[in-house]
Amino acid sequence: MAKYAHPEVLVTTDWVKENLGKTGIKVVEVDVDTKQYDAGHIPGAVGLNWQTQLQDQVRRDILDKAGFEQLMSASGISPDDTVILYGDNNNWFAAYAFWLFRIYGHEDVRLMNGGRNKWLAEDDKKLTVEATATTPSRYTAKAPDLSLRARVTDVIQAVESKTHNLVDVRSPDEFTGKVLAPPGLTETAQRAGHIPGARSVPWSSAITTDGTFKPAEELADVYLSKAAVDPDRETIAYCRIGERSSHTWFVLSYLLGLQGVRNYDGSWTEYGSMVGLPIERTVEM
Amino acid sequence: MAGRAVFNNVLEMLPGIDNPTPMVRVNRLSPSSGYALYAKLEWQNPFGSVKDRVAGFMIRDLLERGQLSAGRGIVEPTSGNTGLSLALACAALGYRVRAVVPNKVPLEKKILLKLCGAELDVVSDALCPAPGASEGSINLAKTHAKAQPDRYVMPNQYENEQNVLAHYRTTGPEIWQQTDGRITHLFVSLGTCGTVTGTARFLKEQNPAVKVVAVLPPEDHDVPGLRSASQLEATKLYDPSLIDEQMEIHHDLAYERARDLATMEGLPAGPSAGLILEGARRVIERHPTGVGVMIFPDNSFKYVSNFAKHLPELVEGTSV
Repeated sequence: MAKYAHPEVLVTTDWVKENLGKTGIKVVEVDVDTKQYDAGHIPGAVGLNWQTQLQDQVRRDILDKAGFEQLMSASGISPDDTVILYGDNNNWFAAYAFWLFRIYGHEDVRLMNGGRNKWLAEDDKKLTVEATATTPSRYTAKAPDLSLRARVTDVIQAVESKTHNLVDVRSPDEFTGKVLAPPGLTETAQRAGHIPGARSVPWSSAITTDGTFKPAEELADVYLSKAAVDPDRETIAYCRIGERSSHTWFVLSYLLGLQGVRNYDGSWTEYGSMVGLPIERTVEM
Repeated sequence: MAGRAVFNNVLEMLPGIDNPTPMVRVNRLSPSSGYALYAKLEWQNPFGSVKDRVAGFMIRDLLERGQLSAGRGIVEPTSGNTGLSLALACAALGYRVRAVVPNKVPLEKKILLKLCGAELDVVSDALCPAPGASEGSINLAKTHAKAQPDRYVMPNQYENEQNVLAHYRTTGPEIWQQTDGRITHLFVSLGTCGTVTGTARFLKEQNPAVKVVAVLPPEDHDVPGLRSASQLEATKLYDPSLIDEQMEIHHDLAYERARDLATMEGLPAGPSAGLILEGARRVIERHPTGVGVMIFPDNSFKYVSNFAKHLPELVEGTSV
């Protein structure tokens, strides 16, 4: 049976249970809605809010290096800690945090397979409302590794040169242009459709019904065979605001081991609002 | 004292074979005069919906097992009706209720839940959900129960056998008695599936020839409380072996038929009842004789904003 390319970046809920509270292990819950964390989290886990803590609060951008260092220090995390990330929405935001930790060079960061839903579903796993006590650290981040991130200029170049795999991980209706965004969301784009040449592989193609990742052979079938992602080319994954695509970026980079995979965090809300860029749409609005 | 309709407390009003909810014949909207089509008016329950039966059974079960106390109340994910039933029943008994609702639930229901004493948690609606994934409201309610087991117990209507038992012991026997065993078709909508599973199981045990017709809205529908086909895959109480025909009907028709029920039959039915009526009409066109019972879950009063959205002409002329 084929294995994941980097199995060390995934831990099971059982592993987390066994290793809770050990020196050098820091568990971090990342949610879009910290109501979940507040209602109950893994004992000792720090809670991070994707909207207010992992992004620049003035301009549209990822947290800068100083901001990341400040956040890690306040959370009591050191560069040599093993950081275990988990979260709501099937680890979308935890995967985004994973991407950010990698950008700032954190060596040992892992995802808890199945996220908070799997932990919640298992009778032997505890949750608490007790506040987590942290001892502030002095975190020094590495210079950002921007090879993990695609900017709109990279995407434009990829469209023109036709040299990249472009993977659109949004829902089929967003891909075809039937809807601008899932219903009820405020962040949206001026135009509906997808980046020319992109292939539609919804993020959920990577997971099983309990939210854990599919086995390596199945992932290879989904991405390399059915979606014809060429492993010899570089890949750009995108969604609406860059969180679902972090999940797919994780799958392609660490589970399938593709080289040169980047997450386009500007995603459709940027591309679909740019003046003059080519768009493909397969349904009438 | 049901015969004289005098009760010692509101919980005594909960329905059963000696105190059934009324069945009213639908006349002008039935496509065939040779077919006796009845609406079972579940909004005549004490707290206003079919969920009163489920809440009553789940609470009784929790009490019998010693799961409720002065310090320990109920937390439950709900699109509204179960929360209202639980809140009011627990208010009468003196227990706390925390209701977790998806944001898309109409404002009327959220306000009513608070009015009835429930503590309210509103969670973001699922966006781009994975097929079969459980909803955020269920997860948050489970989180409360798991993190604070001394404060909350979660009856979990989606998985609780009491949900099925309530209908097996009350709705089914009531319908059998009210139709003198002549029922040929049962028409229901599908949510937690407690109604269809419990009622159909009882009726088919009496007469295996009773046909059970379930209506459901399409994906991305806007009929609160109901589930689409893909959502049913993850519904534990769903037993397709009891359903003879499953019909998908667009949610716009739910609202139009609900209006028809009000304007042509004098029945102030909610949107899920509208969907059920449409399903019944389609079956009667094929089978012009028989005795059908539609279980109408609740009335229209909690869905003012949904009606305004789907029948926008209703809003015209409502202000100067």
